Amino acid sequence: MILRAVILLGVGVAIAWTTAGLTQSGSEPKPGPAPRAAGQVGAAATGMAGTTTINAPRAMPRVRVSVPRSASGEVEVDASCTTCHATRTPNATTASGAELDEFHGGMMFAHGNNRCLACHDATDYDAFHLADGARVEMADVMTLCAQCHAAKVEEFAHGAHGGMNGFWDLSRGSRTRNHCLDCHDPHAPAFPRMVPTFKPKDRFLTRKGEHAEDSR
Amino acid sequence: MVPKVHDEHRVDHGASANPAVTPAYWVSYPRFLLRAARLATDGSFAFYAWMTLLSAVFLVGANAWAHQVAHGMITTHLTDHVSWGLYIANFTFAVGVAAGGVMMVIPAYLYKDHAMHGVVILGELLAVAAIVVCLAFVTVDIGRPDRIWHMLPFIGRFHFPMSMLTWDVLVLNGYLLLNLHICGYLLYTRFLGRTPNPKWYVPFVMISIVWAISIHTVTAFLYCGLGGRPFWNSALLAPRFLASAFVSGPAFLILTLAVLRRFGLSVPDQPVATLVKIVRVTILVNLLMLGSELFTEFYAGGSHTASARYLFVGLDGHTELVPWIWTAIAANVVAAVLFLVPALSSSRFVLVGCVLAFAATWIEKGMGLVVPGFIPSTLHEIVVYAPSVTEWKVTAGIWAFGLMVYTVALKVALPILSGAERVQTDAERSLAAD
Amino acid sequence: MSSEPDEREGSSRRTVMKAAGATLGLAAFAKAVQPLTEFTDTLTREQFLQKHYKELDADEKQAVLARLEAEAKATHGVDVTIADPPPIEGVKFAFAINLSLCNGNGKCVEACHRENNHDRATNQSYIRVLELERGSLDLGSADSSYDHAVPAPGKAYLPVQCQQCDAPPCTDVCPVEATWKEKDGIVVVDYDWCIGCRYCEAACPYHARRFNWTKPEIPAAEINPNQSYLSNRIRPQGVVEKCTFCLHRTREGRLPACLEACPTGARVFGDMNDERSEIRWILANKRVFVLKEELGTKPSFFYFFDR
Repeated sequence: MILRAVILLGVGVAIAWTTAGLTQSGSEPKPGPAPRAAGQVGAAATGMAGTTTINAPRAMPRVRVSVPRSASGEVEVDASCTTCHATRTPNATTASGAELDEFHGGMMFAHGNNRCLACHDATDYDAFHLADGARVEMADVMTLCAQCHAAKVEEFAHGAHGGMNGFWDLSRGSRTRNHCLDCHDPHAPAFPRMVPTFKPKDRFLTRKGEHAEDSR
Repeated sequence: MVPKVHDEHRVDHGASANPAVTPAYWVSYPRFLLRAARLATDGSFAFYAWMTLLSAVFLVGANAWAHQVAHGMITTHLTDHVSWGLYIANFTFAVGVAAGGVMMVIPAYLYKDHAMHGVVILGELLAVAAIVVCLAFVTVDIGRPDRIWHMLPFIGRFHFPMSMLTWDVLVLNGYLLLNLHICGYLLYTRFLGRTPNPKWYVPFVMISIVWAISIHTVTAFLYCGLGGRPFWNSALLAPRFLASAFVSGPAFLILTLAVLRRFGLSVPDQPVATLVKIVRVTILVNLLMLGSELFTEFYAGGSHTASARYLFVGLDGHTELVPWIWTAIAANVVAAVLFLVPALSSSRFVLVGCVLAFAATWIEKGMGLVVPGFIPSTLHEIVVYAPSVTEWKVTAGIWAFGLMVYTVALKVALPILSGAERVQTDAERSLAAD
Repeated sequence: MSSEPDEREGSSRRTVMKAAGATLGLAAFAKAVQPLTEFTDTLTREQFLQKHYKELDADEKQAVLARLEAEAKATHGVDVTIADPPPIEGVKFAFAINLSLCNGNGKCVEACHRENNHDRATNQSYIRVLELERGSLDLGSADSSYDHAVPAPGKAYLPVQCQQCDAPPCTDVCPVEATWKEKDGIVVVDYDWCIGCRYCEAACPYHARRFNWTKPEIPAAEINPNQSYLSNRIRPQGVVEKCTFCLHRTREGRLPACLEACPTGARVFGDMNDERSEIRWILANKRVFVLKEELGTKPSFFYFFDR
């Protein structure tokens, strides 16, 4: 049961990038870690000593791919999204990895009824676009999320979503905040299930009745 | 042993024809204590055997407690969920016995029942022994006995009047002092061969009557003041405590009188008859209140009745206390029948009724009261509780100690009261020295 | 009865017997309570006579803190700092948990365990997470011992810890004032004054208090050396303890350990007196509730659902 419910624990891991997986055949590029930029909020405006740092991604991840060379076999290079997509015709109707037969085939997609190009920009796969066509860089991708999830963004802005570390009192120190992508895979944003690893060991405590096991 | 238990008001003045020749207090009081010590330690083989047995049990308890203090209360089966158990259960019951002792005092002094006067001291000494038991149970229940001085007024930080526990400390120790004074005064004057001066004890007796009610009311308030424990948070708790105390106390006294009679003391019939009359009423009042509680808990239902369900019918498959409480209820009902049906009014049936009523109250107001208050927990988890061997040993040790106190108290009091033991005048002493 | 002159011989033999019996009894008693010395040997005069926290002047408090640090070094071989941060003037702490986000993973329980130097063997923690039937707050169906993947279908999760009540029943009942509510709203225990009667444990409607049934055991390497007198210093045996909103952190402006550990971001902490604080935004914008409101305990701990 536990094995089947393989669950990711912890935060600070860019779940989106590590769950995509790479098949040995090379049909799926393995993403590298997303470069992060420290986005700073609020400090100058409030005149407080501490700052709030959001753990935001700086740019689109590079993908390590093997490029065949005639003489020396294969070499590995870090390629941007555009490297491949520049030579392919965008398909506006694609809405799932299952529809793709070369790359991204194993990608799990569960994010409403969106198509890939609802967020990804067909003219520049290293960036995104809003509904009105405005370009959004990876570093500002929270704006893209906000377009649909305004309520969550408002909660986030008030410290009521996403958690934080450091100081509650910004006059005494700084804090760091998670970014949307720290906890949510943009292609399947539901928070992953977890297995509790730390339980109290009470003498003489008895479990109540039977519990609904997760579906297997 | 002592030939007869006399009425203190029928003093035999022949014993000391001229009080003027009795020695001064600073001579006679040490002599009184010395005589008491001798009376307490002299006795038949049966007496020594009984005291040795009690000492042995007491020592086992003391040893278990010493281990508990050294290694922590992990040696008990108490938990953060069921944080009070056998100790506090016995404490609560013993408070009832102490309060119940006063049921001899009320007829004697409020209703001027002179036949009761001779035996009233038995009730007061029972109260003394029971309070000693109470204080011992509280002491063994605390995690840091080395810090008990923190509870002393002025020296520690006595959280009075906010904490009901501080009230309990006051009323229990006050009750102990009251009864020690009354018993001590009566015995000392009797030792001197004088008629006790009512001015020096009757007001204290009157106070002790009110005080007896207060000790059990305050003990009930310890529980019913806790809003987070619906099983206890009931206005009926204090009255029910009193009703059951006025069953168990007199029941114990009837048994004591029967034992004394067996040891050859002449015990008048009337006090026993009066005590039986008292139990006839209180045992019914107690059953009525039980019925009232059961109705309130089970007719309305709801999550607040979970503890009552655990106690009476079991909860979520847990029925640990169910056989105990129904045994107690059955014993109470049988005892009530034995007390009330005229055809069964022979003394033998009454004694069986006393044993049943006493045992029933011990179950009902001990474990039956304390443990369900914690099950389910305030977060409705079920952590079961059964006392550990350490807890049973300590509990047995404390009861043995209480019985030692009561035995010694009776051993000292009865001969002095009967006039068989009294101070010697100087003339008598010089005569004896020849 | 035995004082007749002609019994004098028997009486003196009896006196000898009594003396022998009494000696034997006393010796047996001394032997019986001998294990007590295991406890009293470790109890120093300073520990025994230590005053109540509120009665210590500045010098005495420094002496106590230094002694406690030395004791920690001697007992556990660890250099710890035991501070005594006072409440921050004008601050009143409160907590809120978003039950729509909480998935019952128990990271807060573990973080509390480590931060507060809890006994390792029992996995002690000030937080208990209950699994409830979804759509119900009936604790009757609650269970804390679940160990399956969470969130389980049809279940909701309710972490419970000290609610830092404004009308705390636990402090009222303490017979020795060993527990009280501080100005910043935190209910604390003086572990060196508590007598261990556990009346507070019976009075608390939230199962927030814990008793040290034995001496807590923690490997030296796992001891959190950043400690304070009223919160996470290693507790003595036989006293009651409870959640202090990590006052050794929060009174320095830092967030509580349970909040930092929460992977779902369900926890919100802050100053009720600061209208720009996160907690005030929650109270103003979410429909919050408190546990067992009918008891009138006025918790400083709020819960809400946002969907």
